Amino acid sequence: MVTEEQQSGEQWVPDFTVDLAPDNPRELVLRNPVIPASGCFGYGIEYSGIVDVQRLGAFVSKGITPAPRSGNPMPRITETPSGMLNAIGLQNPGIRGFIRKYPPIWESWRVPAIVNISAEAVEDYATMARMLDDVPGVAALEVNISCPNISAGGYCFGWDPVMSSEVTRAVREATTLPVIVKLSPGAVDVIEIAQAVEDAGADAVSLINTLVGMSIDTRARKPVLANNTGGLSGPAVKPVAVRMVYQVAQAVRIPVIGMGGISGLADALEFFMAGASAIQVGTAVFSEPGMLIRLIDDLGEWLRANRIASLSDIVGVANPRFHSTTVRHSEIVAEMVGQ
Amino acid sequence: MTELASPTQHPTGWSREFIGEITATEPVMGDSVLVTFTSPPQLAASCRAGQFVELLCRTPQSSDPLLRRPFSVYATNPARQELTILVRPFGRGSAWLVEQPVGAILDVLGPLGNTFTVAPKSKNLLMVAGGVGAAPLLMLANEAVAKGMNVTYLLGAMNAGGLLAPGHLPGEVEYIVATIDGSAGRQGFVTDLVSEYVQWADQVFACGPEPMFRSLRREVLANRFAAKPTVQMSVERTMACGVGACLGCMVETRRGMRTSCVEGPVFEMDELAW
Repeated sequence: MVTEEQQSGEQWVPDFTVDLAPDNPRELVLRNPVIPASGCFGYGIEYSGIVDVQRLGAFVSKGITPAPRSGNPMPRITETPSGMLNAIGLQNPGIRGFIRKYPPIWESWRVPAIVNISAEAVEDYATMARMLDDVPGVAALEVNISCPNISAGGYCFGWDPVMSSEVTRAVREATTLPVIVKLSPGAVDVIEIAQAVEDAGADAVSLINTLVGMSIDTRARKPVLANNTGGLSGPAVKPVAVRMVYQVAQAVRIPVIGMGGISGLADALEFFMAGASAIQVGTAVFSEPGMLIRLIDDLGEWLRANRIASLSDIVGVANPRFHSTTVRHSEIVAEMVGQ
Repeated sequence: MTELASPTQHPTGWSREFIGEITATEPVMGDSVLVTFTSPPQLAASCRAGQFVELLCRTPQSSDPLLRRPFSVYATNPARQELTILVRPFGRGSAWLVEQPVGAILDVLGPLGNTFTVAPKSKNLLMVAGGVGAAPLLMLANEAVAKGMNVTYLLGAMNAGGLLAPGHLPGEVEYIVATIDGSAGRQGFVTDLVSEYVQWADQVFACGPEPMFRSLRREVLANRFAAKPTVQMSVERTMACGVGACLGCMVETRRGMRTSCVEGPVFEMDELAW
């Protein structure tokens, strides 16, 4: 509903503000719900001359690991139909080098910086969270659980509810910062994972990470990427992402951050209506960096044109069981398999 | 959180995303096209040889092909506020681009990347180009001739039709060609021409396919003394962001991985890991 106060002005401003950690005293309040995704926006500074970074709702850094990583051999990226595969290999300066280099720059920024962390052991996630807990310039953590767990023979943390829960709990106990857990679409049952990380203390979940894919160079008769497989992203993955956001938004009470192939307003609205409180833009940043700010403007314009006072009024409107306390896991799955 | 502060200056200076309008197209080198489009004035003025632009090669409504395509700048015209690129249609993106008529609108990011660096003491410059690698070296040849330097420009192509017409180069440039079929110039690879110029040149500049770089390196190493001349190579990698964010376009150097989009595309041959 449009309030009288909003209506009185000719150009009333819709309420964009979103709190992605409502249960956390350190809160994560964004002025708008548009966030460039991890890996696609560097450390913010790379786009400083090209995008008005300070107008963004927040941004997520590249994935940081305990030790420096030089990343995978080349080629690391290849284009696919309406998408791309990447296997960068988490190239980053390691947590110590990262803390020295980037948060001091972000400290004077108005836009909240979210740090994405990745590790191959539960205790390493916790160590990084502890190190980041009181670093000025760091607003929140996003925990990438789409990593191999070395002590589980390389099985991906994010594919197993127990391992996902262990990582989340360890990070939760190591920091009071808002904690977003980024879910893997490779899990057999993403609903179960989402509920596990919510129970383990996550302030929010974000999804989807990339889908594992492959392209083959038929002339060379081998995979295009040196890593053989890579993460598929871009418009090609959007329907999968919308479905998963829809399901997870039914199953958890914490905020859901939706992403996967968002290239403009129409895509973003799908995610909000499925139940996302905020959205991340990844691959589209590479093609159209200017789209980030355009999306914020377009969203405001759309809310105004449709006389919607607050973005929260449309979150989950296409999802009858959004944030339902009574919905059962079996019902969500039944809808997916068409029973 | 405090109110900020102007954003950090981007390392590539004036680069930005802008809308350009095609003002001229000219078929060259067989199936290639010189595409000239408008650019903001400070960009055309600040752009230097070796830099590139990334173009969206699709209509705004489409999501395919997804990624921008990088093109070395062939010429800049600050007075007319225009940039020119050389496009060979060998993929979906470039095939779309060469079909665009005068008046078409392009979404451009750039100029991006580093530049060729001519040492103050250099007098004799050797340029070695393969195919569309002709573009950044033509811009460099123009800059060098304007400063009174001696330029020898070697270009290789499959046949005579694939060569740049001599009228595109400044008159002061010594222009020598090689073709695979022998229909113009020396029969063979452009790098077959290199050996006799190595000791004359103070610096060598090259742009072309990977095998050309390998042959060039072999020729230079076999003919030079005391690591002179040095060679700068403009390398090509599959690229996504163009601004150093995605780390998809890395080049392996003796000091580790470097981005070809920000720390390149121009690298010293002796710095590259071979």
